[in-house]
Amino acid sequence: MSQPAAKLSVSVPGELASAVRKRVGSRGLSGFVARAMAHELEREGIRVLLGELEQKLGAPSKADLARARKAWPKR
Amino acid sequence: MAEALILDAEAVNALAHPLDRKVLAARASAVLSHALERRALVRVPVPVLAEVCRGTRYDSAVNHLLNNPGVGVCDLNRIIAQQAGHILARAKLSSAHAVDAFVVATALQFDAAVIATGDPADIRRLAAPFGRIGILAL
Repeated sequence: MSQPAAKLSVSVPGELASAVRKRVGSRGLSGFVARAMAHELEREGIRVLLGELEQKLGAPSKADLARARKAWPKR
Repeated sequence: MAEALILDAEAVNALAHPLDRKVLAARASAVLSHALERRALVRVPVPVLAEVCRGTRYDSAVNHLLNNPGVGVCDLNRIIAQQAGHILARAKLSSAHAVDAFVVATALQFDAAVIATGDPADIRRLAAPFGRIGILAL
């Protein structure tokens, strides 16, 4: 069951609004904005988690970051 | 479709209890940081929770991690479960490795994924046929 929708009124730069409308059309705007908001909320959560980890462990080492980078499959 | 960082039980435990598992947590933190840079999603396959939840006192750290809006739990569905069965059969492994197979099958739901794992040998064996899955041994 889908959650009830909330109406939001936001202001964005005109060029950005035009580019998004051109891409998704006016009917797809709500879905596009909802996905973008959810994605940014997730990214903010990861930033908070990384901040908590850095407080406890310090910043990730260059060696660990390099290993992490190499682990991703080539595309 | 998106890229994802998939956390297995060891990765979840390391991130939930970083002071008890400093080396593993530092490595998990590095891959998390890189995932953020790549705009990849961070996901925990739901069967992993059966390996990390061990009672109210111990679960509070795991719940804190899972309540973070950046860490999503991927539900198990029929497609993933059947795919996990095929992966086990192909690797000639028994259902004792079912949770590892669910982890690999969940990774296959994304365009590309890295599995952060404390059990790289079995996960590598299960994921070997799939070029779009990378493995990070913690």
